[in-house]
Parts: sequence; structure tokens; C-alpha cells
Amino acid sequence: MAGRGKLIAVIGDEDTCTGFLLGGIGELNKNRKPNFLVVEKDTSVTEIEETFKSFLARNDIGIILINQFIAEMIRHAIDAHVQSIPAVLEIPSKEHPYDASKDSILRRAKGMFSAEDFR
Amino acid sequence: MGGSEPEDTRVKMDEKLFRFMDLLELLEKKRATLNSLIEQGWFSITKARYSMGNKQVSALQYASEMEPLVWVHTRALENDEMQFFTERNTQKSSRESSDELLSVEDIGPQEEGLRRRNKTRKDTIKKKDTEGAKTDKGSEVNSARKKDSNPQQDPLKWFGILVPQPLKQAQSSFKQVIELSAEIAALQSAVVSTRQELRLSLAKGLNSEDTLGNTVKDKCLTDELTVSEQKECNKIISS
Repeated sequence: MAGRGKLIAVIGDEDTCTGFLLGGIGELNKNRKPNFLVVEKDTSVTEIEETFKSFLARNDIGIILINQFIAEMIRHAIDAHVQSIPAVLEIPSKEHPYDASKDSILRRAKGMFSAEDFR
Repeated sequence: MGGSEPEDTRVKMDEKLFRFMDLLELLEKKRATLNSLIEQGWFSITKARYSMGNKQVSALQYASEMEPLVWVHTRALENDEMQFFTERNTQKSSRESSDELLSVEDIGPQEEGLRRRNKTRKDTIKKKDTEGAKTDKGSEVNSARKKDSNPQQDPLKWFGILVPQPLKQAQSSFKQVIELSAEIAALQSAVVSTRQELRLSLAKGLNSEDTLGNTVKDKCLTDELTVSEQKECNKIISS
């Protein structure tokens, strides 16, 4: 498994997970936990946060894709993650378009400069 | 000569700043492409759901066992940046395409001419000599069918044997999204590490001026510094 590279994990709504599973990233068998979580209306924030932290703790996941509106629910956990691996990518959802001002990575870069620096 | 060192530091900082801006611009472009491909994929899934039925394209159709067909390889660079590369398992796809061809052949008559139901051993041996290639293909088909029962198969098959074209288009879109995701992950890592380098260079640049005869204070008194540099100056002086 180690020689074959790392997995891509997904935390998203049903259509997002369906799409990425069609792309071939899914892993599900009796021995290992799945590398995806379908977030529905009744999915609790605790479950989402626990799943995210479990993905961070696994050493076989390289990238975590997460809908931005779900990322907002666990923003504190995402901001606390500063390691390079796994990389966390926020993606839009059908009802919530991507907002760069909410992205954790871009917010870190935004703090670099202020408007007065360019006078 | 002593004045050339801070000049070199400023030139390096300018280069890092340009690189940072270029990375941000590239990241924004890739993000826009990623978002539009994802939206395209959703639209295709919705079209497929419309033609197949609501429950035919849902989480209920997911296989009970899955194996990933795409992997991500990571490599650490010298400046704490990470590179991400995707690797897709294309062997299965080529096998599957050949299996499909073989299965098409298998549906038709395996032998030319009349079929003999009561086959003798001699007949089978003769046929093996003349049709050695076909029997090999048959065994391959059998082994391939066994492999098809393995979880590592095209996820499109979860939704039926004959799936509508929109579902295939959705799969194609999301495959491209996966490739782009690796590139964006690498860009994000580069943005964060370049930002760190810029901050360190800014602090070091002001510190190095201090070793050349307390020029930091003089510099802070001038209006040449930007607001952020003045804040850094004040921090260093106060420490």
C-alpha cells in the first residue's frame, strides 16, 4: 500500500461524493474505514469533525477535499491544521459557491499585506 | 561594499514577492477551472439522475467494497514545499476494454461451423490445436470475469451496465478535477512556504542592518519604509 501512494479523501454532500467516487478515489472494505463521508442534513458537526480528524491522523491520505460550507462548520479544526500533508482543499457545493475570502490558505496569505503597503 | 548586502537582501525579497504574486495568480486561475469542472460534473450527474431516476444515482448505489483507482504521490522539496502527483491505475481500464471485446466475442458462437453437443476428447484436442488462441482467450475471459468480481472495477458499473452518456461525462469531469486537485494542493503549499520565507527575509533584512552600526533606528525614522516594515522595525527596537 505504501508503495502505491496516498489516498484522496472526500467530505461532501451526496453529489460531490458520488462524483469523486466515480473518478475512482473511493476505498471501502471490511478492514479499513472509508476515505469518504457523505454529509446529509442530519449529519452532526461532531461526526464531521471526528471524521476530519481521523483523516488527518491517517498516514495514507494525501489530500482531503471538503465542501466549503462543511469546512465552515469545522473552521477551527481546519485552521489548526498547518502541516503540508494531508493538503486540505475547499471546494464549492451546489448551494454554496466558492468564496476565496473564507479559504483558510488564502486567509493566511491575505494577512501578508495591508492596503497602505501599496501607496 | 557594506551597502551592497542590504541591497542584495532587498533584491532577493523582491524576487520572492514576485514569485508569491505569480503563485497567487496561478492558484486563482486553477481554482476557477476546478470550480467550473466540478459544476459541470454536477450538471451531468443531475442529467443522468433525470433520465435514470432519483434513486438510481445516489449513495444507495455505492459498492459495498471499493478499491481506489487513483493514488497521490508526494515529494518534499528543499524549501518545505510539497509536490503532489496523481497516478491512475490504467492497467485495469485497458484490460477491461480488451475484456469487453472478448466478452463480445464470447457472446457469439465460439466455434466456426456447426456446434457439437456431444464432444469427445479427441475432438477437443484437435480443436485446441487449431483454435489454441481462442481457448487462451477463453481462459483469459474466465480469469477476467473473476477479476471483475473484485472490488477494483469501474465505478460506473455500480449504476448499471448501460449507463447514460451524462454519467460518463460526469466521470470524465471529476477525473479532471482530481488531476487539478493535486496541482492546486502543490500551489497552496508553495504559497504558504513562500509567505513564510518572505516574513523571515523581512525580519532578517532589518536585523542585518542593525549589525552594520545601528542603522535600523535611523531607517525607522525615515519615511522610506512601508507600514508593515515600520511595524517590524518597532518590534525589533523594542526587543
